[in-house]
Amino acid sequence: MAQRAVWLISHEPGTPLRGTVRFSRRYPTVEKRARVFNGASYVPIPEDGPFLKALLFELRLLDDDKDFVESRDSCSRINKTSVYGLLVGGEELWPVVAFLKNDMIYACVPLVEQTLSPRPPLISVSGVSQGFELLFGIQDFLYSGQKNDNELNTKLSQLPDLLLQACPFGTVLDANLQNSLDNTNFASVTQPQKQPAWKPGTYKGKPQVSISITEKVKSMQYDKQGIADTWQVVGTVTCKCDLEGIMPNVTISLSLPTNGSPLQDILVHPCVTSLDSAILTSSSIDAMDDSAFSGPYKFPFTPPLESFNLCYYTSQVPVPPILGFYQMKEEEVQLRITVNLKLHESVKNNFEFCEAHIPFFNRGPITHLEYKTSFGQLEVFREKSLLIWIIGQKFPKSMEISLSGTITFGAKSHEKQPFDPICIGETAYLKLHFRILDYTLTGCYADQHSVQVFASGKPKISAYRKLISSDYYIWNSKAPAPVTYGSLLL
Amino acid sequence: MGPLSRDVWAQRLGAFRASPSAFMAGPEAEDLGRDLLGDLRNEKLSEQTKVSLLALSLEYPAQLWPDATAAEVAATSLLDTLVLLPPRPSALRRPLLLAATTALAVGGALGPTSGASCRLLPLLLGLAAGSDLGRGFVPASEQRPLQATACECLRELESCKPGLLGGSLGLLRGLLGQEGPVQPLSLLLSLALRNTLVLQSRAGAGLGALLTARVSPTAGGPWDWALVEEGDGRLQPQAPSWPAAEEGDGERSLTARGHSPEEVRELRAAVAQLLDTSYLLTPVAQAQLLWLLGWALRGLQGQPPALFKPQLVRLLGTAQLTLLHAVLALKAAFGEALFTAQDETLLLRRITLAAQHPALPPSTHLFYLHCLLSFPENCPLGPEGEEAAPLLLGPQLCRGLLPNLLHEPTALLARLHLLCLLCAEGEEEEEKGQLPSPGHYLEELLAGLWQRAALEGGPRALATLCFQASYLVARCLAGQPTVLTPLIHGLAQLYRARPMLAPHFVDLLDQVDPELREPLKVVLRQEVVSRPGRDEALCWHLQMLARVADGDAQSATLNFLRAAAAHCTSWDLQQGLLQVCRALLRAGVGGGLVDLLQVLARQLEDPDGRDHARLYYILLAHLAGPKLGVALGPSLATPALASSLVAENQGFVAALMVQEAPALIRLSMGSHEVKGPLPVLQLLPEALEPIYSLELRFRVEGQLYAPLGAVHVPCLCPGRSARPLLLPLQPRRPAPARLDVHALYTTSTGLTCHAHLPPLFVNFADLFLPFPQPPEGAGLVFFEELWDSCLPEGAESRVWCPLGPQGLEGLVSRHLEPFVVVAQPPTSYYVAIHLPPDSKLLLRLEAALADGVPVALRTDDWAVLPLVGDYLRGLAAAV
Repeated sequence: MAQRAVWLISHEPGTPLRGTVRFSRRYPTVEKRARVFNGASYVPIPEDGPFLKALLFELRLLDDDKDFVESRDSCSRINKTSVYGLLVGGEELWPVVAFLKNDMIYACVPLVEQTLSPRPPLISVSGVSQGFELLFGIQDFLYSGQKNDNELNTKLSQLPDLLLQACPFGTVLDANLQNSLDNTNFASVTQPQKQPAWKPGTYKGKPQVSISITEKVKSMQYDKQGIADTWQVVGTVTCKCDLEGIMPNVTISLSLPTNGSPLQDILVHPCVTSLDSAILTSSSIDAMDDSAFSGPYKFPFTPPLESFNLCYYTSQVPVPPILGFYQMKEEEVQLRITVNLKLHESVKNNFEFCEAHIPFFNRGPITHLEYKTSFGQLEVFREKSLLIWIIGQKFPKSMEISLSGTITFGAKSHEKQPFDPICIGETAYLKLHFRILDYTLTGCYADQHSVQVFASGKPKISAYRKLISSDYYIWNSKAPAPVTYGSLLL
Repeated sequence: MGPLSRDVWAQRLGAFRASPSAFMAGPEAEDLGRDLLGDLRNEKLSEQTKVSLLALSLEYPAQLWPDATAAEVAATSLLDTLVLLPPRPSALRRPLLLAATTALAVGGALGPTSGASCRLLPLLLGLAAGSDLGRGFVPASEQRPLQATACECLRELESCKPGLLGGSLGLLRGLLGQEGPVQPLSLLLSLALRNTLVLQSRAGAGLGALLTARVSPTAGGPWDWALVEEGDGRLQPQAPSWPAAEEGDGERSLTARGHSPEEVRELRAAVAQLLDTSYLLTPVAQAQLLWLLGWALRGLQGQPPALFKPQLVRLLGTAQLTLLHAVLALKAAFGEALFTAQDETLLLRRITLAAQHPALPPSTHLFYLHCLLSFPENCPLGPEGEEAAPLLLGPQLCRGLLPNLLHEPTALLARLHLLCLLCAEGEEEEEKGQLPSPGHYLEELLAGLWQRAALEGGPRALATLCFQASYLVARCLAGQPTVLTPLIHGLAQLYRARPMLAPHFVDLLDQVDPELREPLKVVLRQEVVSRPGRDEALCWHLQMLARVADGDAQSATLNFLRAAAAHCTSWDLQQGLLQVCRALLRAGVGGGLVDLLQVLARQLEDPDGRDHARLYYILLAHLAGPKLGVALGPSLATPALASSLVAENQGFVAALMVQEAPALIRLSMGSHEVKGPLPVLQLLPEALEPIYSLELRFRVEGQLYAPLGAVHVPCLCPGRSARPLLLPLQPRRPAPARLDVHALYTTSTGLTCHAHLPPLFVNFADLFLPFPQPPEGAGLVFFEELWDSCLPEGAESRVWCPLGPQGLEGLVSRHLEPFVVVAQPPTSYYVAIHLPPDSKLLLRLEAALADGVPVALRTDDWAVLPLVGDYLRGLAAAV
C-alpha cells in the first residue's frame, strides 16, 4: 500500500521539453521492497528526466503525433484507467498512476507486493487507491483558495516538508495536506487521548456552523423525435463547523419541500458516523416511483477543523429549468440560426447572470452578422467565431425569449478558430451559463432549526444555497447530435 | 574538505537532484555522504539547511552509502548526532530518526549484529511508548510528534523485516489502550499482528503469549529477533486473497493452523480494539488498517469476519476511493462469510453509482469501472482473472455507464468495454424490450467514432481512439456477424474518406483475429484497387495494398499497380510500389507480375527502384515458390520484429545476400616472369559460365609475404582466352607458400556468388629475381665479389644435381637462364639469384658429367639451404 515515488509535473506546451518536474520524491525503503516483491519483473524508478519524457509521451502531451507511432498509437494499446505502463530504458514501468488537471500532471508509482508478470489486476493492488488519494490530496492543497502563480509556487515550496509529515516513508498517513500543515502549527499543544488523526487541533472561539448547498444542473436538449432530452442536478453540501471540544457531535438534516425532488446517489464524507439505510439505497439507477425516500436526510458527524464536503447527491427534477431549441441551417455561404429559450415558471426568475454561448467550430472568423433578438444583447467575438447572448438577471414576463440571425464566415485558418471533433457540418450546440443565488432546483434546504449541535455554547448557524449551470447544452435540432444511451430511453 | 556553506550545499544538492547518476559519476560523488554526515554537526549551518541534507539522505541513501558497512556507519553517525542535540526543541530530531531508519533498512544493515540497529530499535520503541529517556532527550513539546514518528519508523522497519516487532505486540496493545496516539499505534500494531500471524504459523510461537506479554521498552534486554529469523526476513504479500492470485500460493494453509480458545479470544479482542477506534484514523489509514486486518484474519479458523460488519455501512456511504477499495478487498478475502447476497448487491450498486457520480473526478470513475469488471463475486461464473461484467450487473444498472462521443478517450474505451460485454450477453438473452438495444447503440457509437476519425485535419489521437474502439469491439464480439459486418463496412468507409490512416489499418489487421482480418482485407483491397492509380493518396494506397494484397483478385491488383507505376515518380512511391510487388511475390502471384516487374525494371526512374524490380524479377524467375518465400520472408534465426521496415529489410538482406556457390572458375599458374623489383605470379583464369565483376582475393598462409591485393576482372566467358592476371608478391622471407583463393562474382542471373577456389602454391623458384646485369666483361669479378660476400655469416654447400638427357646446357637454359652471370657453355655456368626481400643465392655449376653436375653454392641466408637442395635435385625431374 506504499508508494515508490511521487511526481508533480507542470505541463508546458510550446516549450522544448513540454513540461518541468516541479516536485519529486522517492521512497528508497519501499523501492527495496519492490525489488524483492517484483523479483525478475522489477523495473527501477527512473530519474526525473527520463520519467518526464516517457510520461508525456504516454499521455500524448508531446504534440508530435504527426506520424503513426506503434508504441503509442497501436489499436491494441488500450488504456481504460488512469494507470499507465511507461517505457523507460527499454523496460515497462507499471503501474504509474497519473492524471492531468489544470496543466499539472500528478503521478506516483504504487508498490505492488507480488511479481508483475503476469500483471495482477489493479483491483488487487492496495497502493493504487492510496496513490490516487495522495495525488488528489496534493491537488486539493495546491488549488484550494489558490489565486495566482505566486501562491502556487509558495505551496509547491511547502510540499517537501508536508510530505515528510503526511507520507514520510511512502505509506500515506493523511491525504489531507492542510492537516499536516496545521499539525506543525498545533504541534505545541498537548493532544489529549482520542484525538482523531484527521483533526490536528481544537477550535477556540465563537461557535458557528455554516452550511452551503450548491446545485449544478446539466442538460442535453435535442428537440428531436426519438431522442429524449436529459437533465440532472448534482448537489454538494459544504460545511464549516467552528466548535470547541475534541469531538463535538453535529447532526445536519436536509429537507425538501412538499413537491421537492428526492435526493439520490448520496455520497458522504468519512466523518459521517452513521447513515440511514434509505439514504444508502436511494439511487438514480432504479426507476423512479412515488415511494422514493424524500427526507429529511439526516447526517450525524464529527466535523473536522476545515471546511469540508459533507455530502454529494444527484436528483432528477421533473423539468429542466430552461427549455430551449436551437436550429441552425447552412444556406449557401451563410448560416441561419434560430434560438428559443423558455424559463420554467417554477424557477426563481432572479439570476446573478444568464448567458447563452453560441460557438461555431471548424469555420473561419465571423465576417458578417445580421440578427434580431426579443430580449437581451448579443456580443460578437469575430475571431473566436463565438456569439454570446447576454440575457441578464431576469427573463421577461412571458418567460420566453428568442434570437434569430444569419452569419457569414471568412476563410478558415487552423490556428485561430477552434477545432472540434464533434461539431462537424451542421452539428452544433449552444451552451447556457447561469447562476441563481439562494435557490436550489430540488428545493433542498438545510433547516437551521434542525441542526443539532452537541457542544458547549449555542452556535450561530448560517445556511446558503445556489444553483449553477454546468454542461447545459442545447443541440441543433436540424442535424445529428451526440446522444447518450439515456437519451434513447423513451 | 572543510565545512561547506549553505550556498555551496544548496548548489551541490541542486546538482545532485538534477541527475543523481551524473553527479555520482562526477568528482564530488565520493565525499558527498561523508560531508553530509559531518555537516549535520556543523554549528554554522542553519537547521533548515540540515533538514534539506537529511531530506536528501531520505531519498538517496543507496547512492550516499552504497553498502551495508557504509550504511551502518552512517546510521551510527546519525544516531550520535541525534544524541548530541541540545535539549531544546529542534526540527532535526524527527528527520534524524527517519534518516537513521532509512539508512539501516535500505543499506541492508538491519540485523542482530548491527550496533546501530541495536541502538535504534530500543530507542524507537522507547519513544513510541512515551517513556522517559532521560537527560531531557525529548523536549516536552516534541514528545507527541516524536512518539508518532517512532511508530512510523518501527512500522517501516517491520515492513522491511517482518517479525521484528513480534515480541512487542503486547506492549503495543497496551499503549493503544492507554494514552498513545491512535493512528500510528493502530497501524503499527495491525502490521505487526499481520506479520506475526503469518510467521508464527510456521514458527509455532504462542500467539496468545505474544499478544499479552507486556515487556517494558526500557527494560534494556536484547532485542528479540527470533520471529525475523523464522521468516528469513521474507516479505509477505499484503494483498488479501484475490481470486486470481489465490491459487497455488499456499498462504491459506499457512494461516489455517488452529488456535487455542484463549488465543482466539485475545486475537479477537485485539482486532476489535483496532476496529473500534478506526474512525479516529484518516481515511487512507483506515483503509490500510482494513487491508492489513483482512489479510491477517483471512483463512483463520474460528475467526468469523463478522467483526468487520459494524464498519461496513459507514464505509459504503462514503465517496472515498481508498475506503471502498478496502471494502472490496474484504469482499475478496471473505466472500459470502462477510457479504450476504443482499450485501453483495448493495456493494455492487454503490460501486456502480461511484463509477458515474458527477461529483467524483474522472480518474476515480475509471478505477471504479475497473473494480466493477473485476468485482469479486460470491459465485463467479466466468474464467478467473478476466474482466467481465458481474452477473448482477444487468443492462438496467449499466445504463449510466455506457459510452458516448463526449467522453474522454480513456473513459470512452472503458465504458465501451462494458457495452461490448453487455452486447455479448444480450446475444444470449435476447432483448427485453424495455431498453434500447445495446447492439444498436454500439453501432451508432462506432459510426460516430469513424466519422470523427475521418475528419480532415483532425488530430491523430481521434484516429487512434477510433481504431482502439474497433479493436476492442472486434476482440469482445468476435463471434457475432451482426457486429462484424457493420464494423467492416464502417472501416472501409473510413478508409475511403481518409486513406492517410493506412498505418492504423495495417496495425489493426496485424492485431485482430482472422475472423475480422480476412474479410476486412478483402474489402480494403477492393477499396484500393478500384481507384485510379493517380490518386494523391497513392503512397497510402500502396502501403495498404502491401498489407492486403494476396493471391486473390490478382488482375485487379496488377491493373492498379500498372496504372500506379506511371505516377510513381519519387523514390518513396517507387519503394511503396515495390513493396506491393514483394507482397505479391510472397503470395505466389506469378504471370502478370513477371510482366509488371520487367516493365518496372526498365521504366522506373530511380536506379535503386530499377535494381529492386530486377531483383524481384530474377527471384520470381529463378526461385520456386517455397524458396521464394524463404528468400523474402523474415529470417527465422532472428526474432521477428513487428516493424514492416525491418521485415522488408530482412527480406532484402536475404535476397541480396551473397550466395555460397561451387567454383565456376579455374585458376592456373602461368609462366614465371622475372622482371622488375618483385616476383610476380602469372595467373590464368578460366570460367565455366559467363561471370561478371570477378574479384579474386588471396590470403598467404603463415604471413610469409605481405598481404596481397585483390585482382579484378570485369568479365570472363568460357572458351574465350583471358589475359593472364599478374599477382605481385612481397615476400618477407624467401620461402615457398600456399595461397588461399576466394572468388566473388556476379552470375548472368544477377546473383552475387562467393566461391572458395583450390589453393595456389608459390614455389621457391617463383621468387627468383636476377641481379642487375653487370657491364660487359665484368661478370666474373661481379660474381666473385658476391661469392666472397656471403661468408662468414652465410653458408656454403655442395649439391649433386642430376642431369637429364639434354645435359647441363639444356637445364640452364630452361631454368636458370635469366640469372646466369658468367657462362662457359657447355661446361661451366656461374649463377647469381636475388631472393627477395634481401638474400642472395650463388651457384657454380662446373665440370658436368654425363648424369649430373656438382654444384657449389653459397648463400647469405643459411635458412634457404634445404630449399636450394630440393630445388636443384628436382630440376632434372622437372624437365
